[in-house]
Amino acid sequence: MAEPFEIGPLAASVADETAGSGPVERVAPDALGPRVAELADAGGQFVMLIGLDERSIGDEGLAVEAVVARPDGGLARLRAGLPLEEPAYPSISPLVPAAHWDEREVKDLFGIVPMGHPDPRSLVLHEHFSRGYHPLRKDVPADVRPPDAERHFVPFEVHGEGVYKLPVGPIHAGIIEPGHFRFSAIGERILHLDARLFFVHRGLEKLVEGRSFAAALPIVERACGVCTVTHALAYSQALETLTRTAIPARARWARVLLAELERLYNHVGDLGNICAGVGFQPAVSRLGWLKERLLRLNDSLTGHRYLTGAVAPGGLVADLDPGGLAAMPETLDPIGVELASAIRSIVRSEGVMGRFHGTGVVSAATAAAFGALGVGARASGLRLDLRIDRPYAAYDELPVGLVVASAGDVAARFHVRAQEAHESLRLVREAARRLPRGPIAAPLATIPVVGESALGAAEGPRGASWIWLRAGSDNTIDRLRLRSASYANWPVVAAAAPGNLVPDFPLINKSFELCYACTDR
Amino acid sequence: MPFDVFDRLLRPLRRGPVTSHYPDVPPDLAPAARGLPELDVSRCDGSASCVGACPTGAIHLSDSTWSIDLGACIFCGACARACPRDAIRLGRQIELAVDDRADLTIERDWRVEP
Repeated sequence: MAEPFEIGPLAASVADETAGSGPVERVAPDALGPRVAELADAGGQFVMLIGLDERSIGDEGLAVEAVVARPDGGLARLRAGLPLEEPAYPSISPLVPAAHWDEREVKDLFGIVPMGHPDPRSLVLHEHFSRGYHPLRKDVPADVRPPDAERHFVPFEVHGEGVYKLPVGPIHAGIIEPGHFRFSAIGERILHLDARLFFVHRGLEKLVEGRSFAAALPIVERACGVCTVTHALAYSQALETLTRTAIPARARWARVLLAELERLYNHVGDLGNICAGVGFQPAVSRLGWLKERLLRLNDSLTGHRYLTGAVAPGGLVADLDPGGLAAMPETLDPIGVELASAIRSIVRSEGVMGRFHGTGVVSAATAAAFGALGVGARASGLRLDLRIDRPYAAYDELPVGLVVASAGDVAARFHVRAQEAHESLRLVREAARRLPRGPIAAPLATIPVVGESALGAAEGPRGASWIWLRAGSDNTIDRLRLRSASYANWPVVAAAAPGNLVPDFPLINKSFELCYACTDR
Repeated sequence: MPFDVFDRLLRPLRRGPVTSHYPDVPPDLAPAARGLPELDVSRCDGSASCVGACPTGAIHLSDSTWSIDLGACIFCGACARACPRDAIRLGRQIELAVDDRADLTIERDWRVEP
């Protein structure tokens, strides 16, 4: 069987140009912040800031590109060229706080300084990396280990009488990923939380540079273990836009089915994990068992419990297993009944709901300012969902019921997740019922032009994940950035903590249930 | 609802065990499951398509030997899809733990005639 991936002859069907990523607008470095702020004021959502080394595509110097999603579904892309020596531009973050992590990351990886940024500390590169080491610059080799440096981490802490500091992690008691949480507290009450991540920064974006588009897929897909379909979808859609490829109908519907299965097992598992945050073991056990049944369903359809190796640019890698598809209704029906029963049992437990209500409140204003996404955004009243705002795959033919709540607390995130799980069950059944016959993949229609770039995005269990992709020569990747939903949501978790009790933080954290691996990359 | 506590106590008893008796009873593998990549030496013509297709460089081919390093293999199946003669399939063997790192490399003599 031929790899669906190979660049085939020019296909007759060409994707709708309006589905592309739009033109890049060149702006002066000084104008970047004000222009992003203007777009944000007009209802646009800051997506990401990408650092670029333009020398690889025949230009001089460096650049930064800000991407803003317009309310009409289009994208604004603003690029500012910068000199190689002492590159700097006025920081966007004072105007649009959602940009604050991106700007620190670009500073670490490219040495581009956002002047006037409120937090000048490094983000991605910890203190054992020497100053002046900017690995995403093209003249820095990927396979050379930089010398160790002896710098010291400066936590952001509150000082004063009666304030104590509580360091937690990066090694935790549970089987979770590494993050360091520095609490400043008075008594039990959290004054400030400094969350430090990127302990497992693996340089995945450097790793894919110069690789073929096909070779990068397994790397992007495995940036983390629980959003494999989301990341493969975002990557595939970016490449399909770049190559103006239209995918077959069966692939479009199968992608919906896979994406909703991913949301479903994540949401079901995360609902159980929230209960673990208050020690309500009966629900942890019931929902854990349900999640296991969903993982086995994934396995029966794709041969992989976490759905890797299913989605590829052009469509799918392999067709869904016919036996698994046929058995799906009889698997899903009892799962739906059991899920509803488990949720009822949790909601009826006053001791559990008492801990959920009023804990970890994120206001709509805070959620919007920091760029919250997914469940975290919708539980605070933001009506954001890529499946509705920028429909992809077959979502344009399959309306998704938007679930929103307004309280912004743990209870709101619990309820939004529970309702979305039921909605995903409906969408999985619907997608399976309407799954058309036909080919599962189309060859990519053109060879990407060197220096051309495109974006792809998919709404995962934790919100929208975006891929920014630029083509190099000979069908290779010049630059790829993965801005996962977890990356965008982490600062919101830190903002949700102050005012709460220290022992409620694990519960708040679990109500977002973010991923470290795809944040760190 | 104070009576819910009885439901929580009785439910697991009514449900009974949901775990399986692995390893006494073999696991219920999905038909699509991707286990150990196996080479059918009678079909292999040494095209090395699998070597080029492997995203982690786990497969090596010499004049006489085909080898795969399971420490590098991610069980994606790209080798099987790339093979023009369908000589590789991802089989049903999933118990692959070994005591020594070196034992993760599996070798097959692919050239039947010298």
